[in-house]
Amino acid sequence: MRYFTFSWGKNYIAVRALLRVLGHDLATPPEITASVIERGISAAHPFLCFSGKLVLGQLQAQVDRGEQHMTFMSSLGPEACRCADTSEYLESLFGTMCPAFSAHRIGGDGIGTALDNLQSHFGPRITRTQCMRAYAMFFGKVDLLDKIERHCLALFYHCPDPERVRALQAEAIRRVDHAHGMLSLWRVSRWFDRVVATLPKRTSPPLARIGIVGGEHILSELDSILMRLKLLAEQGVLLDWRGGFRCLARSNEARLAPLKEQCGAYLSPDVSTSEIFSCAHALDFAAERYDGLLHIYAFGCMPQTAAKPILQRIAKDAGIPMMSLAIGDRFAEEGLDNRVEAFVDLLHSRRTSRKVAV
Amino acid sequence: MSTSSVGVPRSILHYEFGGFLASFLARLDVPVTLSPATDRRIFQAGKHWMLDEICLPVKAFAGHVSWLVQQDIDAVLIPVIVSHENGRVFPCHVRTRLADIVVALGLCSRERLLTPTFHFDDVGLSDDGLYELGATLGASVEAVARARDECSLFLSPEHVSETSQTGSPTIALLGHPYVVEDPWLNGDVIERLRRLGCAVRFAPLGEIGYSPSWTGLHFDLAARTMTTVRQWDNDESIDGIVFLLPFNCGPDGDIARHMAQNTRTPMMTLVLDELRSDGGICTRLEAFVDLLAHRQLAGGVLP
Repeated sequence: MRYFTFSWGKNYIAVRALLRVLGHDLATPPEITASVIERGISAAHPFLCFSGKLVLGQLQAQVDRGEQHMTFMSSLGPEACRCADTSEYLESLFGTMCPAFSAHRIGGDGIGTALDNLQSHFGPRITRTQCMRAYAMFFGKVDLLDKIERHCLALFYHCPDPERVRALQAEAIRRVDHAHGMLSLWRVSRWFDRVVATLPKRTSPPLARIGIVGGEHILSELDSILMRLKLLAEQGVLLDWRGGFRCLARSNEARLAPLKEQCGAYLSPDVSTSEIFSCAHALDFAAERYDGLLHIYAFGCMPQTAAKPILQRIAKDAGIPMMSLAIGDRFAEEGLDNRVEAFVDLLHSRRTSRKVAV
Repeated sequence: MSTSSVGVPRSILHYEFGGFLASFLARLDVPVTLSPATDRRIFQAGKHWMLDEICLPVKAFAGHVSWLVQQDIDAVLIPVIVSHENGRVFPCHVRTRLADIVVALGLCSRERLLTPTFHFDDVGLSDDGLYELGATLGASVEAVARARDECSLFLSPEHVSETSQTGSPTIALLGHPYVVEDPWLNGDVIERLRRLGCAVRFAPLGEIGYSPSWTGLHFDLAARTMTTVRQWDNDESIDGIVFLLPFNCGPDGDIARHMAQNTRTPMMTLVLDELRSDGGICTRLEAFVDLLAHRQLAGGVLP
């Protein structure tokens, strides 16, 4: 059967891999265009986060073209947000216009609940081994897509030939999508590393080094934002982003423990919500003496709204400028450009004045 | 006692717990200072500290903390609510991070905060957090157990549901306890409805975050809202529901449209924000009550 979902940047490719192991397929989600955004805004309650509106717009566009079986990957643990309880909501939105509409939530907080979820949606014959293979492919692709995105973001600064980087990124993503097993994924990863090693590199130091923290959905989902930032990289700014969708899959306490310890001065240790990742990454950037922090989040994003004052405090304590960019219904790329340019100018002049002082 | 006096913000958790926190501390012989009822001064103080995009009640909460830190008290109590129903239901991210946010904003130092961690299991509030709080305050285990038994959790709402007089509509107020119970935040909606001749019904405070029929919702208060509205929708004595939705509340925003579409009882969503006017609230309430009256005349059918 063919399912549909929202794009999550390029992470739908990982969902497709999971479904293929189970004998199903996934439609390619439509690109996020102005009309898709408008559809999402009109379908959603105003208080829904902007990422959620993008999701609704993409789903609506696919229902319009006749897709009927939706699947979505959500985490169910404390780090989850609205994605954990959207089944009924989506049914109420789309069920009336599409009588055959069905929503399948996959994911879980461990192999046990993940298997339960898969069996409840795809039939009791799904075995534990199949489930583990499906998730191995899912996480394998999530991690490789993340590696490609992160490396390419840095390469836009390091490599003086951005067109080659763009071509490399597109080809790498295509190969990830076509990889049908863990061995072929490993081959794609090796191929990517080899090509990266052959690219020419800049020798001049960056104008500024900026660490990006924020909401995983908005950073992955809205290509236009990352495209604008990549243009910044081409102008000599080194960007670093350490998020990735792996963060949104349930993280066990053993993995969270060192991050919680790292954030101990800022976050209560008993809470396991996703703000921990943003704060830990911000602290890493501060320790590595980055010039500035760029906090990008969707307006209405609850985890990032809670994290914002804490990130501001981290930046203040570290003496690093931080700019928060809330992306909402009235987001305009020109406004983003102006603010980012001003921020980079500030960082550059700060860096220059420090050198003069030394 | 190692801590001589504790401040409790009259906001968020105070209302969610039906005044339990202050009663519990008093029974441990800890002097308690409860911040005054929310008013414009308190709200403006909170707004000064808080982010623009944060929800309305949390801005008020910051105002209460701001008032308390200026008093002669040793500590401010802000429990950290981690989960309900053994980790199946969770508070929203902002409510669970209240203490961290307050510290990050510079409103209060971490050393001056009491932040016991509260879990809710399948039968109610787990005692661990209370013992943690008691130990911090130097209370014995026996004293904590006694105080816990003496306080009835979630059983002291400030308002009691009313019975309708013949002919007057009964309106149920739906929303988070800290909005329904705070007259400044909700624009004094209870009094306004009474003046319009309505009897007002409230959700019971018991079993907060619990859902007799499992809703599958992730957030505790949204689950409570959904459960309550389902019960009220089958209650013939309720003529209408007013849903108090504070600005930028994510969990309730998500279910607002779903509830409005799937509830047979007439429902009005009253969005509350800091720019509202009393006139606007009055007009909307009057229109809704008029609609209910017309509906009654038309034999239960909306014109």
